[in-house]
Amino acid sequence: MLSTIDDATLMKVAEALGEEEAIKLIENLKNLDETTDDEIANKTGIRLNSVRKILYKLYDHSLVSLRRTRDPKTGWFIFHWKLQPDQLEGFILSQKRRVLEKLDIRLEYEMKHDFYYCYTPGCRRIPFEEAVELVFKCPTCGKPLMHYENGKMIQALAKKVEQLKKELGE
Amino acid sequence: MSKRNDLEHKALQHIINTGFDGILQSDLWRKLGASSREGSRIALKLEEKKLVRREKELRDGRWTYRLYPKRLPAKIDSIADVPCLMCPDNPRCDPSSSISPQGCDKLTDWLLSISKNEAGSLGDS
Repeated sequence: MLSTIDDATLMKVAEALGEEEAIKLIENLKNLDETTDDEIANKTGIRLNSVRKILYKLYDHSLVSLRRTRDPKTGWFIFHWKLQPDQLEGFILSQKRRVLEKLDIRLEYEMKHDFYYCYTPGCRRIPFEEAVELVFKCPTCGKPLMHYENGKMIQALAKKVEQLKKELGE
Repeated sequence: MSKRNDLEHKALQHIINTGFDGILQSDLWRKLGASSREGSRIALKLEEKKLVRREKELRDGRWTYRLYPKRLPAKIDSIADVPCLMCPDNPRCDPSSSISPQGCDKLTDWLLSISKNEAGSLGDS
C-alpha cells in the first residue's frame, strides 16, 4: 500500500505517545516486517517491560498489529508485532477531532465568562459568579481579585480551533 | 518492492511534498532520474489509483501535465503541543466532571503560552 505519511510524522506521533523510548522502538519496528518484544528489547536496549508497555499503547490505537504463537518447548505465548503505518492517518484524524472538541468547549467557556485573578503565580482565575460569592478575595492567597482580560487567550484559541476545523474539512 | 513500485512511491512522496503548488511532470522525472516514457506511465498509474490529479499546462510552447496530490498527508504538528493530546486524564475529562476542559490547569498554561506567542508575533506588548 502506498502510504501518504512521512517518517517525520511517524516520529512525531511516537514522541507524543511516549517520548524517547517510543521513538527508538518505532524506528526499530519500521525497518522490520514482524518482530517480538524480546528482539526489540535486545536491539534497542529498552527494558522489556517498557517495550511491552509502549507496544500495548500502540496496539490500543491500532498502530501495531499482534500475532500470537505458542512456544513448542515452554508452552508460553510469543507475541509477534508489526507496525501498521496505514492506520496512522486515522489515528491523527481521530486525535485531532478529540482535541478540537476539548478546545471548542474551552473556547465557549472563555467567551461566556468574565474572569477575576489575584495575579499571584500558582493561583487560579475565578469566574465572575464565583468571585462574587468570594467577595472578590482569592481563596488561595487572600489577595483581592482584579478583572482578568482574556481577549488574547480567546483570540489565540479561536485561531487554533479554526485551523483544526479547516484541517478536518469541517 | 519492485523498481516500478519504488519509483511510484518516490514520485508520490515528491508530489505530496509540493502541496497545493503541484509539480510539472517533466520536472519530477528529472528529479527522480526517470525517462519521460517511464514517468508518464507512473503518473497515469497514480491517477488511476486516485492518488494524484493531472492538469494540462502549456510550458515553453509544449503541452505537459502538472501533478497535484489528491490528499495532503495528515500532519500532527497542529496538535503536537496541545496538552489534550495523549493526556492521561482524557478518559475522565468531561465538561460535567471535576476534570474538564474548562478548568484544566495544563490547558490554561498552554493557552497562556500560545496567546503570549501570538501577541509577540503581532508586535503587541
